[in-house]
Amino acid sequence: MSAVDTVTLTSPRARRRRLLRKRFLRRPMAVAGLVVVLAFVVTAIFAPLLAPYSAGATDFNALLAHPSAKHLLGTDSLGRDVLSRIIWGARASMQAGFFSTVLAILVAVPIGMIGGYYRGWVDTVVARVTDVLLAFPFLILAVGFAAIFGASLLNATLALGIGAVPGLIRIARGETLALREEDYIPAAIANGAGDATIIFKHILPNMTSTLIVQATVTIPTAIVGEAVLSFLGLGVQPPTPSWGTMLQDAQSYLSTAPRLAIFPGLAIVLAALAFNVLGDGLRDILDPRTTR
Amino acid sequence: MAQPVLDVTDLSVRFDTDDGDVHAVDRMSFTLDAGEVLGIVGESGCGKSVTCMALVRLLPETARIDGAALFEGRDLLAMPPRELRRVRGRSISFVFQEPMTSLNPVFTVGHQIEEVLARHLRLSRGKARERALELLELVRIPAPARRLDEYPHQLSGGMRQRVVIAMALACDPKVLVADEPTTALDVTIQAGILDLMRDIRERLGTSIILITHNLGVVADIADRVLVMYAGRKAEEAPVADLFSHPQHPYTIGLLGAVPRPYEGDEARRRLQEIPGRVPSLRELPRACAFADRCSRADELSRTEIPELREVRPAHSVACFHPGPGAV
Amino acid sequence: MSGTSPVLEVVDLVKHFEAGRRLTGGRGLVHAVDDVSFELRRGEILGLVGESGSGKSTVANCVLRLVEPTSGTIRLNGTDITHLSRRKMRPLRRELHMVFQDPYSSLNPRMTVGDIVGEPVRLHRIAKGRALDARVEQILDDVGLRAELRYRYPHELSGGQRQRVGLARSLILGPSVLIADEPVSALDVSVQASILNLLRDLQSTMGFSCLFITHDLATVEYLCDRVAVMYLGQLVEVSPRAELFRNAQHPYTQALLSAAVVPDPAVQRARRQVVLEGDIPSPLAPPSGCRFHTRCPLHDLSAPQSEEEVPELAEFSPGHLVACHLVKPGRPSPRLVEDAADIVSAKTA
Repeated sequence: MSAVDTVTLTSPRARRRRLLRKRFLRRPMAVAGLVVVLAFVVTAIFAPLLAPYSAGATDFNALLAHPSAKHLLGTDSLGRDVLSRIIWGARASMQAGFFSTVLAILVAVPIGMIGGYYRGWVDTVVARVTDVLLAFPFLILAVGFAAIFGASLLNATLALGIGAVPGLIRIARGETLALREEDYIPAAIANGAGDATIIFKHILPNMTSTLIVQATVTIPTAIVGEAVLSFLGLGVQPPTPSWGTMLQDAQSYLSTAPRLAIFPGLAIVLAALAFNVLGDGLRDILDPRTTR
Repeated sequence: MAQPVLDVTDLSVRFDTDDGDVHAVDRMSFTLDAGEVLGIVGESGCGKSVTCMALVRLLPETARIDGAALFEGRDLLAMPPRELRRVRGRSISFVFQEPMTSLNPVFTVGHQIEEVLARHLRLSRGKARERALELLELVRIPAPARRLDEYPHQLSGGMRQRVVIAMALACDPKVLVADEPTTALDVTIQAGILDLMRDIRERLGTSIILITHNLGVVADIADRVLVMYAGRKAEEAPVADLFSHPQHPYTIGLLGAVPRPYEGDEARRRLQEIPGRVPSLRELPRACAFADRCSRADELSRTEIPELREVRPAHSVACFHPGPGAV
Repeated sequence: MSGTSPVLEVVDLVKHFEAGRRLTGGRGLVHAVDDVSFELRRGEILGLVGESGSGKSTVANCVLRLVEPTSGTIRLNGTDITHLSRRKMRPLRRELHMVFQDPYSSLNPRMTVGDIVGEPVRLHRIAKGRALDARVEQILDDVGLRAELRYRYPHELSGGQRQRVGLARSLILGPSVLIADEPVSALDVSVQASILNLLRDLQSTMGFSCLFITHDLATVEYLCDRVAVMYLGQLVEVSPRAELFRNAQHPYTQALLSAAVVPDPAVQRARRQVVLEGDIPSPLAPPSGCRFHTRCPLHDLSAPQSEEEVPELAEFSPGHLVACHLVKPGRPSPRLVEDAADIVSAKTA
């Protein structure tokens, strides 16, 4: 009995979700990635509940302390608990990671789609805009923002978002170019659909898998980017904790207490890796050609 | 009786997928004589391509192959890989459907033919080029000397297919397997390729296995025809007898489904439809695979697998209710 | 069966595409369609036959205004639609629709069958809600699909079922013209039969006119009332169906008829075949004069005129138009083989 002959009681959307879940569970790496990502997100959201100490709490009796029962990862030069600061620091990283990516998608996708759909001079304009944006690495943008508006997490996030825009424009444009060659596009035109309907109803929904995957790998770049900017003083300002500022503080103690650099460094690596692995897995399972 | 060039016995191919096994081919047996053209006919998913690719183990890792395939006395399926590599491309060669993807776009036509010659026959550069030129003349490509230095994208579909055939013939193979060689080509070009294949068979004595879904092509050049359905052989007969006295209801259905040109009013009679769909290959039915769609099906066909029986001279069919014309 | 005013008129249609830049500078021009004129009458099925480069799909795209014609006129039910704006064209799209070749890419994978089939009704604001559902169910029934398939996604259906969905979508508004661009070429043989039968049935019950584009002459003979043959962007012959198969005049048509394989070995092997030399020339550089002259076996007889002058599509006999310098009413017809019947079958020989 073929699948089409049996009458099913579940909706097609539910069936597809089940299938995707099954595929996902067959990939231990992707599952691990998801678990770690969720762990970081939960940590960021529930930092006040999870962190043993508040972000700025100092303990002058335990300066540069080694890991102990009281301070699981030790303390820094001001007696602040390293573990708590890493937990609080997750907030900055997750915020920067997610919001910059969301911003980038909201800006880049419409631009890319319009260029890819209309071609001609519109596309040329889009291409040039992309080229101009590419000429400004996020670092330079961040320096610029900091100079004009002052350094803060918000400005760092903006800079990271804008930095991610050209890459996403290219992807959105490429997908649009490919999708508009599918026969259901002329079919929609023959139905009497206007450009807006075609772009939003026919092209965009077919791009979502690619966009989800792309977002999942843009976020780690933003996380690392935020750490870089905060390290340089262009992002989160002390005393607010950020993995980047922790690295900045750890510089002077590299020979005596390398753990002050290692722990935040590991956090950055782990977070970025988890997102990348998750993204790989998602790309795999969402590909229509995947058979398992 | 001369020994057949290829003698396949109980060939079965199973694909190991995560949703279970897919039985692509179930106990196929057939022979191929010297200089004959064997047509294997069937619709998509019937296993015709898988059968032939299994012979030289061109299938993915997940394929499990059983049975025996004797080629010049040696079993291809039991051969060590090094020996098999000497057979592939040299004694048994392939021509596939899409000429654009069969040729490497970054090398010239001449280079690709010479590569085959160098690998199998160890010819020197000069000799290889001479032979390549000969081959292009054999497949009747106009201006062959110029073509040697051209790239695939500079040739048309029909020309590319001829080049692919030339490569396949480079080492004078005993067997040429052509998998839908004309399906992607225009009608007038197809006529030329079929003509060429006929010529090859006559001049070089190459045996040809022609895989196709097109009954007209089979009617044109095949000597014997094998009809496959759901991984099994449904019917086998000399070409004239297959068309004049088809025995298996599936074959009869196929012949009735094809519009026949040039028969005046006959050409407008309603096409015969075969109800239902091809069964899933995930489970081997313990019955006739066609029973669900067959007007002649009964208890017997739904509970037992029909074995091949000869019902007319040289004409065998796997059916409990063959005919008309069965003896 | 044939009304007095044609439902679709195409007059002197020309479409040239700009090809990519050549390294030597300057752009190539693809002569996809050159001066094609024909009409589609009420209730008839006109077959448009040709091989690659013939321009048949481009003609369809021009008629549907999916591409802009370079020049020429297209009239739908008397209205000139050649240069209509998008907005003005919209209401007219209720009268004109198309079925595509590829059952896989012609349906949006993110929409359910019900959404796909109902889209024309929704876009033209003809019905909503329950009424829309009813229409969708009705047309699904007409094309032989069970109503519950509305909730399925295209990838859950077979190729044949998908083509039925494509047909349902194009016919739900009851258009007067349906263009079918190789609708069965990508399907299995047995499935082709059911779709061809379905198309024939629907056409006789719904009465639409159909422009049926294909390269397969056997299908043309099965389905069509009249046939138009194209070669390299131009029409070479237009004729009622029976007349074409009995008395084809143009050498290309004869070669095409000769090349089509007949699924009957006794007949197929007894036929005298005409095998054309060489390739179909590229539409980037079509031959001068009669575009077929480079491959025409009768070239010697028609030279030098065929190299310099483009033959006119002129009437050979009532309803039968041919574009060939060697074809003139009253004169003996050009023959590629001695007996015309040999091209088609040896039965009468």
